[in-house]
Amino acid sequence: MITAEHLAKRFTLSRQQRRTLGVDGRQPGRELQAVDDLSLRCRPGRIFALLGPNGAGKTTALRMIATLLRPDAGRIEIAGIDALKDPVAARRKLGFLTGSTRLYERLTAEETLRYYADLAGVSAADYRRRRDALFASLGIDAFADRRVGKLSTGMQQKVSIARTIIHDPEVIVFDEATSGLDVIAARAIIQFIRKCRDDGKTVLFSTHIMSEVTLLADDLAIVHGGRTIFDGTLAEFTAASGERSLEEAFIHRIEASEATSAAGGPRT
Amino acid sequence: MSRSPFVAVVRKELTDTLRDRRTLIAMVVVPLLLFPVLTIAAARITGSRAQEARDKQLHIAIADPMNDSGLADRLGAAPGIRVERTRDVSALPARIASEELDAAIVIDPTFRRDVAALRPGGLTLMFKSSDDFDIPKRRVLAAIAGFEQELLNQRFADLKLDPQVVHAVRVNEHDIAQAREILGKVIGGLLPYMFIIFCFTGSMYPAIDLAAGEKERGTLETLLTAPVRRRTLVLGKFTVVALAGLVSAVIAMFSLYVSVAQGVEGIPPELLAAVAQVLEPATIAVVLALLLPLSMFFAALLLMLSVYARSYKEAMSIISPLMIVVLFPAMIALLPGSELSLATALIPILNVSLATRELIAGTAEPGLIALVFASLVALAAASLWACTRWFAREDIVFRS
Repeated sequence: MITAEHLAKRFTLSRQQRRTLGVDGRQPGRELQAVDDLSLRCRPGRIFALLGPNGAGKTTALRMIATLLRPDAGRIEIAGIDALKDPVAARRKLGFLTGSTRLYERLTAEETLRYYADLAGVSAADYRRRRDALFASLGIDAFADRRVGKLSTGMQQKVSIARTIIHDPEVIVFDEATSGLDVIAARAIIQFIRKCRDDGKTVLFSTHIMSEVTLLADDLAIVHGGRTIFDGTLAEFTAASGERSLEEAFIHRIEASEATSAAGGPRT
Repeated sequence: MSRSPFVAVVRKELTDTLRDRRTLIAMVVVPLLLFPVLTIAAARITGSRAQEARDKQLHIAIADPMNDSGLADRLGAAPGIRVERTRDVSALPARIASEELDAAIVIDPTFRRDVAALRPGGLTLMFKSSDDFDIPKRRVLAAIAGFEQELLNQRFADLKLDPQVVHAVRVNEHDIAQAREILGKVIGGLLPYMFIIFCFTGSMYPAIDLAAGEKERGTLETLLTAPVRRRTLVLGKFTVVALAGLVSAVIAMFSLYVSVAQGVEGIPPELLAAVAQVLEPATIAVVLALLLPLSMFFAALLLMLSVYARSYKEAMSIISPLMIVVLFPAMIALLPGSELSLATALIPILNVSLATRELIAGTAEPGLIALVFASLVALAAASLWACTRWFAREDIVFRS
């Protein structure tokens, strides 16, 4: 279970970031409200999709949930643990995989897994059991002793997946985990996400790809400008969108939200 | 039982570091080979140049207008000198400049008359200063000195005087500084400088790799989602970086010791004897005790700069100029007159340099050495504290 309530996060922008984001002198302040009053609840055995355009605040929200960033306001609970009070205990229940996740190239696949197991305090017996199971199911046995730097992208992806769940977390967070992957590697991630749900885990994944949502999501939240503009089940979203395709419905929601915030003035 | 997270981090970072060729070269290969290679090369080159200058047949022109000084005969008899008698004085400077001649001597027309009248006979020695240690000039002057002695002996005999009458004072030199002390001041300044450099460069690559490198390769974010305190991660990285610097300095010391103990061919024997005297186990132990907190300070500082950088390249460009800043105090210790005092014992890096120099010279005051050590430990602790605080800052760790 993941419970996040009224999360807010504001960043001070560097000069370079202001330039990249096109924040100019007309807009007041040098800060960006990346997340503004975002709440979500993800349940075990279900896949929760966080959908939003680039810059919507998805990564910031997930980084707060993964305890990488501390929210300015709000509350986060991971599998019953207050993540702000005890981030280490919360992380013990959490697996985190992003599209930009890389592995240590000079370690072997097995060393990588052992390292993360040690960091998570996994006992030697548990480690052996989980490693054997993961190596067998993902087909890592064949290259377990090879250095990660010498492995193909697909093989590295498998090691990444094993790394994410070696400590058997209850909650797994994927941040645009398929971005930059080819079709085959992306499919491996999609299958992995499904398997996590089937194993009764709580799955939260962010994406801006509509087809992934239709493939996977049970529940759905759309974020835009750091706020939640839709929160419900995929079925509810589909029903509410009427005749429109999912993609059109998504764009329609975003445009409607932009119209509202334009009326309320700039956020930055 | 699982491994403690700290041990796991140290083990992993050590494995990772030791598999990185760049780090290995900076940490092990360079300090291992630099001292013997540099010393041997320097000794070989200077030795052969000096030998060449000593063995060279000197070509000297002598212009003796009255042809009565006797110098040309005297120099011609000296080994390795070829004398050419000439009358063309005006061409001599050009001939020396073009290195056709090594030197020329122009004898005053009144030379013989002046000598006979018990006045100094004048002559002009023309030469071109060179980087051959002025050995040719010294050889010519030695030959002229021999010639002068002959004239003096003749003079004393004519005057029926004992040659000793020209000496009114006899100085007996008695230097109570031990050889170790003198050499300690000389090479003692250089050795800590070397150890400090290795302490820094040995730490540099691991520090960049373990923080900025992780950021650039996209492994830092994953690492930070591991259920372990950030402080544990920093401490693990810090331990490996500090160890790398210390190991590098120890290897430099070991290499120095082995090349001295083996008496590597080409190192001047005087230097060998001096270094052997300096490398006593007690001296080495105290120097290491000073280098340990110094390497901890370097490790914390380097890690802070490295995690601030967005990429390996940026970290390099921040840290490279720092090397000059770090080495400046170490260089001050090479200057004559700089001494370990209550004030200098508190200046980081300079204090290690000066203390090591005193230790090698055998003139160290235990109280001051203890003060140096204490100030370094305090500095190392403060910088480690700052480093863990720095790693806790989101705007630094996720700086993009």
